[in-house]
Amino acid sequence: MVEVKLTKDIMQEQDVKKYFEMMLESVIRSRMTITTIFLKCVKNTSSEIDYSNVNTQLAYFLMENIRKTDLLFQLEDGEHWGIVFLQSSDVEANAFLQRIFKLLKQNRTIPNEVALKASITEIRNNDINFDALLEKNKELLADDHQPKWHIERIDDYRKQSNEHVKVSIIEQNAIFRKVLETTLNSMDIANFTFEVTAYEDGYSFLQTKSYQSGHLHLILMNDILPRNNGLEILHSLRSMPNEKKFIIYMMSERNSEVAALNAYEGGVDEFIVKPFNLRLLEAKIKRTFARYWL
Amino acid sequence: MIIELSLQLLLVILALLFIVLIGFMLYIFFQRQREVAFNKSRDLYLKDYSKLWYDYFFKNNEIFSVVLIPRGKPQVKAIEIIFSSYLKNITNEEITQKMKDFSNLYLKQFYEKDLMSKRWSIRMNALYRIAELQIDELLDACRKLEETNYSKEEFFQLLKIYSIFQPELFIQKIKVLNTHYAESEYRRLFVLLEEDVFIQFFEDFTSWPASIQFAVIDTAGAKRNMKYIDKLEQLLMNDNDEIKIRALKGLFEIGVIENIDPYIPFVTSDVWEVRLMIGKIFKYVPLAYTFPYLKQLLQDENWWVRNQAAKTIAEDRDGIEKLKEFITYSKDAYALEMAQEVITRKQGSR
Repeated sequence: MVEVKLTKDIMQEQDVKKYFEMMLESVIRSRMTITTIFLKCVKNTSSEIDYSNVNTQLAYFLMENIRKTDLLFQLEDGEHWGIVFLQSSDVEANAFLQRIFKLLKQNRTIPNEVALKASITEIRNNDINFDALLEKNKELLADDHQPKWHIERIDDYRKQSNEHVKVSIIEQNAIFRKVLETTLNSMDIANFTFEVTAYEDGYSFLQTKSYQSGHLHLILMNDILPRNNGLEILHSLRSMPNEKKFIIYMMSERNSEVAALNAYEGGVDEFIVKPFNLRLLEAKIKRTFARYWL
Repeated sequence: MIIELSLQLLLVILALLFIVLIGFMLYIFFQRQREVAFNKSRDLYLKDYSKLWYDYFFKNNEIFSVVLIPRGKPQVKAIEIIFSSYLKNITNEEITQKMKDFSNLYLKQFYEKDLMSKRWSIRMNALYRIAELQIDELLDACRKLEETNYSKEEFFQLLKIYSIFQPELFIQKIKVLNTHYAESEYRRLFVLLEEDVFIQFFEDFTSWPASIQFAVIDTAGAKRNMKYIDKLEQLLMNDNDEIKIRALKGLFEIGVIENIDPYIPFVTSDVWEVRLMIGKIFKYVPLAYTFPYLKQLLQDENWWVRNQAAKTIAEDRDGIEKLKEFITYSKDAYALEMAQEVITRKQGSR
C-alpha cells in the first residue's frame, strides 16, 4: 500500500469543505464567480523519483506562488491539490496555470521529469457540493495516459441562475412612461429577468413598498415629479440600510453640470439629460448589469 | 293700473331673462358635450394607437397603419400629444423624420386651416406645431400670415419657422426687424440655427443692435463649438466693455484656450469683471504659463478677482504648493489672506 504523505502547513480537504460551502452561498448572494483548479502529478513509471517527496516539494512550490486571496489545500489521497480562486473566472485560472507550469519547468529544486496536469472548474451557481466537485475532478485526472501539462475543463457549473430584478419607472408623462415600460420589458439581459412597474409620481411609488424587498432594483425616474420628487425618492432609498441593491438612473430636462453634480453626489448611478437616445439608455442598462458578474 | 302694467312688464322681462338663461344653459350644455366628445375621441385615439405609434417608430420594417391617419381635430390633438412626448424625451433622427413626413402628409391641411383662424391662440398653436413637427410645406402659408395683422408673438414664431426652413430669409427678416425682442428671445432663435448660418452674425457684428450682439455671444458660448473661438477672441478688441466681458464668458464656456497671448493685456484691464473672467479662463491653461499673471491677479484690489485667482491656482496639481510658496515671500496682506483661505478650504475639502 502506498503511504499517503500529507504536507504540513497546507489546509486539508476536510478543513476547506466548510469554507467552500460558505463561499458557494456567496456565488448567488454576492454574484461571485469561484473557480477551482485541481492539480496532480503526471507519473513517469520508468523514472525512479520518490513521488511522496516530490508531492511535498510541489506543495511548498504552490504555496509560494499563489496569491494571498487564493486558497490552497491538499486532498486526503495526498496526490491532488486544490486551489479555490475567489472573484475569478476560468480565464484567470488558466493564466495562473500557464504561469505555474512555466515556473515549474524552470525550477531547479524539483526534478526535471516532474510534470503536472490540471482541471479547471468555473462555478457560477450552487448546484454543486464539495464532495461532488472533488469526485468529478479526481475522475477527470485519473487517466494515467494524459499528457504532461494537460488542462481539463468542467463546464457543468458555469450556467448562472436567473436573477429576478425589480424595475420601477417613475415618470409623469403617460406616453413616455409607456415607451419606457415597453422598452424595458422587451430588453433581454442574460441571467436577469425584469419585472417592470410604472408609476406616475413619487408618492405612488413610495406607497407600494415594493422597494422594501431584497431584490436588485433598477429605478428609472425623473428628477421633477409631482408628490415626492426624484431627489426626495433618491434620499429615501439611499438612506435605507440595504441601499446598495438600488441602481438609480435619474432623467432630467436640466442640461447643467450643477444638476448632474448634485444628482451624483446624492447617489444616482446615472444622470441622463432629456431628450436622449433610447438605444443609449438600453446600452447603459446592459453595461450596468454586465458588471454584476465577472 | 300703473302697478298692473309694471307687473306685466316685469313678467315679460322675467320671461325674456328666463329664455336667455335657458338659451345660455343650452349653449353651455352643448359646448360641454362637444368638449366631452372631443376629449373622449382624443383619449380613445391615445389609448388605441399609442402602441402602434411606438411600433412604427421603433420597429424596423413595421408597416405604417392607415388607422393612424387623423380623421378630425380630436385625433390631431392626440397625435400632437404623442409627438410632443417623443420629441421632448427622445432623440432619434429616424423618428423625427417619420414625424416630419407624416405631418407634411396628414396634418398639413389641419394647420393650414388653423393659420387662417380668427383666434390668436389657434394660430399660435399652429405656428408652434409647424416649427416643432417641421412642416416645411406650410412655409408659404406662413409667409401669407405676414400679410395679415399679426402679433409680436406670432412674428417671433414665424422667425423661428424661417430659421428652421429658410435661414437666409430669417437673416433678411432680422436685418429689417421693426419689433424688438428681448435678449433671451433672440437666444432662443439663435440656438436653433445651423453653424454656417449662425456664424454669419459675426460678420458685420457692429451693425446689429446690442440685444442681438449680446445674444449672439451668449449663444456661441452655450453651443460650445470650437469654431467660434476665433470669432469671440476677435470681439475682445471691441471698445464696449460689456461685449468684452461676454466674449470672455463665452470663451470660458467653450473651455479651450490655445494661446494665452490675446488674454494677457486684460490682466491689467480697468474693468474688474474683465480681470475676473481672465482669472477664470486661465483655469484651462497649465499653471506654468499663467502663474505670473495669476499672481498679479491674486494681488488685485478687487476681492472677487483675488478670490478667483487663488481658486484657479489651487485647482492645479501644484497649485497649493505655489500658494504656500507665495505666502513665504509676499508682503501683500490681502493677497496673503486670500491664499491662506483658499489653501485651508481646499485642504479641508479633501
